[in-house]
Amino acid sequence: MISLVVAVLREATPMIYVAMAGMLAQRAGVWNLGLEGLMITGACAGVVITERVGSVLAGVAGAVLFSVLLSVLLWVVIEKLRANPIIAGLGLTGLGLSGTDLAIQAIYGSEAAVTAPAGIPTLGPAYGILGVLDVLVLLMPFTVLALWVLLRRTRFGLRLAACGEHPFAARSVGADPGRMRLLALVLGGVLAGLGGADLSLGGLQIFSINMTAGRGFMAFAAVIFGAAHPLGTTLAVLFFSLVEYLGIKAQLVFGENAPRDFILMLPYLATVLGIWISARLRGGAVVNSAELRDS
Amino acid sequence: MSADPPALACSGLTIRFGDFVALQDVTLTLGRYRIHAVCGQNGAGKTSFARACAGLIGSATGTVEIASRPLRIGHVAAAREAGVELVHQSFALPPSFTVAEAMEFGLSGSTGAIFFRRTLNRRWAKHLKALGVEAKPKDRIRDLPVETQQAVEIARALAGDARLLILDEPTAVLAPGAVDALFARLRRLRDSGVTIIIILHKVREVLAIADTVTVLRGGRLVDGPTEATEVTAESLARSIIGAAAIAAEAPEDQAALVGASIPRGTHAQPAAAVTAPLLSIAGAATAKTGDGPALRQIDLSVGAGEILGIAGVEGNGQQPLVQAIAGLIPLTAGRLTLDGTDITAMPLAERRRRGLRIIPFERNTEGLSLSSALWENWAARGLLGHSALSLINPAKLRAEARAAFTTWDVRFETVNQPARSLSGGNAQKVILSREIDEAARLIILAQPTRGLDIGATAFVWHAMREARKRGLGLILISSDLDELFDISDRVIVLQGGSIAGDFTAPYDLHAVGTAMVGSAAA
Repeated sequence: MISLVVAVLREATPMIYVAMAGMLAQRAGVWNLGLEGLMITGACAGVVITERVGSVLAGVAGAVLFSVLLSVLLWVVIEKLRANPIIAGLGLTGLGLSGTDLAIQAIYGSEAAVTAPAGIPTLGPAYGILGVLDVLVLLMPFTVLALWVLLRRTRFGLRLAACGEHPFAARSVGADPGRMRLLALVLGGVLAGLGGADLSLGGLQIFSINMTAGRGFMAFAAVIFGAAHPLGTTLAVLFFSLVEYLGIKAQLVFGENAPRDFILMLPYLATVLGIWISARLRGGAVVNSAELRDS
Repeated sequence: MSADPPALACSGLTIRFGDFVALQDVTLTLGRYRIHAVCGQNGAGKTSFARACAGLIGSATGTVEIASRPLRIGHVAAAREAGVELVHQSFALPPSFTVAEAMEFGLSGSTGAIFFRRTLNRRWAKHLKALGVEAKPKDRIRDLPVETQQAVEIARALAGDARLLILDEPTAVLAPGAVDALFARLRRLRDSGVTIIIILHKVREVLAIADTVTVLRGGRLVDGPTEATEVTAESLARSIIGAAAIAAEAPEDQAALVGASIPRGTHAQPAAAVTAPLLSIAGAATAKTGDGPALRQIDLSVGAGEILGIAGVEGNGQQPLVQAIAGLIPLTAGRLTLDGTDITAMPLAERRRRGLRIIPFERNTEGLSLSSALWENWAARGLLGHSALSLINPAKLRAEARAAFTTWDVRFETVNQPARSLSGGNAQKVILSREIDEAARLIILAQPTRGLDIGATAFVWHAMREARKRGLGLILISSDLDELFDISDRVIVLQGGSIAGDFTAPYDLHAVGTAMVGSAAA
């Protein structure tokens, strides 16, 4: 049982950080489909900088920095150049996936996985089975809680939600929706960078091409599933991770008797089902925040 | 009191959106502790004026002074700091917020402080109670009826230290009874020391509430501020529309616009002129739907050359009635006869072929596809009549649409522009041009003048009278009793899904009102 919790937490934590980034953007009125790009960039920068500089702290800081820069780029493209946020987000994802590929080839001359000399500090073997949990996993609940307070229990949070839901209302009380979106994206960039770094530096301490494998999109799905609520979104990611873990278990149990591809498909199937159920519960499709945007 | 600085003084206020001048060189001084009406037709610049005063328009030029202190143009926070609060026509409250959240999110000052739901709810419950607003802090905005949403928005505007409250067409969304309640609330506010600027376009409402009247036309200040005691309905209507324009209107339109000064029912035709029923509904009933109560035992008929008015508080069966006549919801009992043919079981396409036409309740969602081109919207009239795979000829449809729009005086640039780009009055003309054609026999008009200014309202009324002259049957559903009484030959009242009264001109406002409210409240 404990090993299940530990495994799910290990798998879920990077996605939870990234999903928090998506949630902030969603609340501010941006459908951030660039999460996958932010996550892979964070994962890549984390390992490469750690490997080059020799400091994990520098690696994590670099992951955050790159992720924030890309988030600002997304904001400029959406807010200043008036691009379609969906397309811009997908573009960011493409930029992240291929940009990291290019960077690895340029630096190391091959597409082989890069290994970092050190990873994010963990509890250590003294804690037995819990020992594999790293600092970011342990900080995750506090981060989520802090975001919940910020978004649901401060006037700032209300204004951010107003900017996403009814930008004109936000403008009418003196808030600047454009600036609020920038704030949300920058804060989200920090979180997505941490999520990416945790993915690569938290476990095997390696980076390989395409290693996010759709986790950014799963995080985005969790945002929708969790109605852009910090706790709901977190629970959604935990649910997806649990399904994935059970899928791996099932593979071990059934071995050759169940088609491997089918079992690998389970988390994605769960995502689709989850979104369908959450849409049914809320009585319809998610409101397109762009419809409410003032020009 | 004369020593007090004016609540608002603006000078040379001009607003341009690209090439379009929304407001031109408006210089105006409004005194404190009074209710100032600003009126004009749609496009006269009223909303632009209100928004510029509230700091929402950055491109405004000129000066605005609040209590003799100059205001930074285009800066909402500065305007709110000076005590200016604006209540928007379509409310600016996020629908998913609770009332308490909606009150809280706009407060100025630190935004980082952590609150607790309980203290928040308690604080705003007190504030709402003090203002006499019947909403609980936990209620969601989207669940509230419009008049309560408006009251909440006014309460939000008064949450800080508001000294100048601007309301942008607050009556446009309200039922007649709610307008009186709003006006009473505004008078109380004025007496407690708030200066009020209220934007209106109905002459009758201006005369009912205003201390002073200011008129805008085509972005310019044409009149005012004038003491309301020196204004008459006729002089005000003339100054809103412009002397030249009003002379061109038919005399009965002129009287209708002015409203209160004429006896009701002037335009009703004698019942003798009505011939055999064009549409008759006998013992109709429907199941309850999301749009309103179940219809029960509806018996009504409309003759050729007759306008039947349908009164009632909104949500008492008006929408199910239209849907039942259109064939969008099935009858559980009863029969529908159009022009002698039983249409009870026919689909909408068949009913349309037999001359049924509908001007729907929601112009922008049911009446038009806002993102589609004008010609496409116009061409939708014939789509049901053909099979889904039949070919269309866009060039021909465009030409036909162009001709129809010209006949109906739609102001448009090209038939390819999206319907979204039209003003409310023009959009309604597009729908009229589509629905009132040669083959029309019976036309249902659901709230056809809601949100339209006087000019466009007069146009719709004129179109209705023309259709009556041609021998068409018309059903007018409206929440504006003045409109109903003015133009209908008969009026029936819907209450709780059944017919609660049948009246003929001259109408007795009290009797109709009692029927609308129903026995429960009487």
